Amino acid sequence: MPVGKVIFDHVWKKFTKGEFHDSLRDLVPALVKRAFHPPPPREELAGKEFWAVRDVAFEVQPGEALGIIGHNGAGKSTTLKLLTRILKPTRGRCELTGRVGALIEVAAGFHPDLTGRENVYLQGAIMGMKRAEITARYDDIVEFSGLGDFLDTQVKRYSTGMSARLGFAIAAHLEPDVLIIDEVLAVGDMAFQERAFERINAIARSGIPVVVVSHQLERIAALCTHAILLERGSIAHEGSPAECISRYVMTQSTSAAPPDAAHPIRLTSATLSGSQPVRSGERVRIHIMGVAEADVPSAELAIGVRVTALHSGQVVFASGTDRCAAALPGTGSFALDVTLQWNVPPGIYALETHVWDRVRERTAVKGPSLTVTVKGGPTFYGAVQMNPRMEFSQPRAIAIPAGS
Amino acid sequence: MLLRLRTDVREMLAEMLEYRELLYSMARRDLLLRYKQTAMGFAWAFFMPVLNMIIFSVIFTRVTKLNVNVPYPIYAYAGLLPWSFLASSLRFSVISLTGNIPLVTKVYFPREVFPFAAILVSLVDFAVGATFLAALMVYYGIGVSWAILFLPVVLLVQVVFIAGMALLLSMSNLYFRDVKYIFEVVVTVWMFATSVVYPVQSIGGRLGAILALNPMTPIIEAYRAVLLHGTLPDPEPFLLAAALSCVVFAVGWLTFHRAEFQFAERI
Repeated sequence: MPVGKVIFDHVWKKFTKGEFHDSLRDLVPALVKRAFHPPPPREELAGKEFWAVRDVAFEVQPGEALGIIGHNGAGKSTTLKLLTRILKPTRGRCELTGRVGALIEVAAGFHPDLTGRENVYLQGAIMGMKRAEITARYDDIVEFSGLGDFLDTQVKRYSTGMSARLGFAIAAHLEPDVLIIDEVLAVGDMAFQERAFERINAIARSGIPVVVVSHQLERIAALCTHAILLERGSIAHEGSPAECISRYVMTQSTSAAPPDAAHPIRLTSATLSGSQPVRSGERVRIHIMGVAEADVPSAELAIGVRVTALHSGQVVFASGTDRCAAALPGTGSFALDVTLQWNVPPGIYALETHVWDRVRERTAVKGPSLTVTVKGGPTFYGAVQMNPRMEFSQPRAIAIPAGS
Repeated sequence: MLLRLRTDVREMLAEMLEYRELLYSMARRDLLLRYKQTAMGFAWAFFMPVLNMIIFSVIFTRVTKLNVNVPYPIYAYAGLLPWSFLASSLRFSVISLTGNIPLVTKVYFPREVFPFAAILVSLVDFAVGATFLAALMVYYGIGVSWAILFLPVVLLVQVVFIAGMALLLSMSNLYFRDVKYIFEVVVTVWMFATSVVYPVQSIGGRLGAILALNPMTPIIEAYRAVLLHGTLPDPEPFLLAAALSCVVFAVGWLTFHRAEFQFAERI
């Protein structure tokens, strides 16, 4: 079995904004213009050009799984297209060895007028499978898709979810040497998503290199051994998934509201005492540092924390010094210790700090944020910790008089 | 430069070998679709050449008498059948890349698969249409001679020529969508510049000299020679056509292969 490997060696990719001339009518003026104003050499940027990927370098060895995160337009999709050889780098080298399994656009080759069965063979061939391989795995593919009775129906009668499931099922049976995954983790209903994720996890654990792009940060955290954060085409951070995710969340929140310099309180740092991951149900202290430039009455401002579950984007908890009856200190630097009991299910949470304007009822200044990874605790499973108390008792046996 | 040529050719061949099953699958897809979507299915393979044969038979036997050595209908059909192989291969090839945008922009495999699959589909039509030619030969009592052994060579030369043209046309239509329309005009004129329904060799003078450059005439005449006359094709024009076909193919495939990486961006 050939061992797969991914090398992305200082890759640059240039795109052009605006339209290409794609009729001959536009070619003639374009050629005339070119003759008088020769275009700059290939590696420089001309007027409407921009770098979609700028000097990105990484390597993924067998057994490693790399997560790529970033905002829309950061260059994630371009990176994936470069990896899957759909695009060619303007500069640099992109090399993949072994059979590449791409869980991207898993239903791209489907033809609406063909039946599910015919499309399995067609899509399989497009993904690089031999006919004999598809035949051998056909039953598994059908079973995985859960579309048993519909394989002789034309795909144009399928729902979006059904074709996506079939496409995923085919791709999942590719047995690749390198696996590349784009947003497909969000295919189908909850049950199918779980099955799909388990399957990907199994492939990833089989020791091949994996590259994942997803907005489902929790999936990245669960699947990847390391991660990169892309910002405007280049790597902004490289490290563990948790680090990259926290950087990502921080850039997201700072870009949301510009800092308001007029307020007298600034928060300078927030750190977690103790090590991550936190066990579900554990109490953890957060150490917040700040500076108060003036003596502010507690009736006007408060310092708050807010915890957001990253997989759902839902705010699971928010509170502040006002609600905890902690009075603000006077002028000068200060420290605030917040102890939270993490009665939440396993997952990744963003903990954001802010200064709350009690008069106008809005956030005055955003403070630093951090991510907290919570691992399963011993006592519960589900959405919230309900602090169960369980006791056995045996109802007193009712004595039945014998022989009466 | 030679080194680059060598690595390119090696890469091209290796890729086609690796993806040959995809080529069959794509061809199968198009055949299946036609069979499902049309009521006449494979009858379409005969329809156009037979209709054309009838029309030109009326013109060249009733309106004006054309002197060919074999019965005119079979002369015409033996020209129309390989001609429609060329025309339909190229017609499907021209739009083969631009008609598959989702695949070109989203999945990687050698793009040659698209025009090659179009040729394969037309080749099946060619084979189906050939049964009618066989029936005509029986009807007119034209026997088969040892020269028919040369038929695969003639077919190979035509396939090589078509493949080269198909690669060039599909690629140019991706850059300039005008190509599709220009092609329709050119293919009509080209048919009458080829010995499809009448011998263009009978045209002399300067026009005749220009028409002699058309590689399709010797190819179609070669089909007639091995099938209807029981002789080998006229060597000089046929060898020239074969050489030209190889050049078109080599240039077409190399340009296609070297431009391939831009397709996803430019489509």
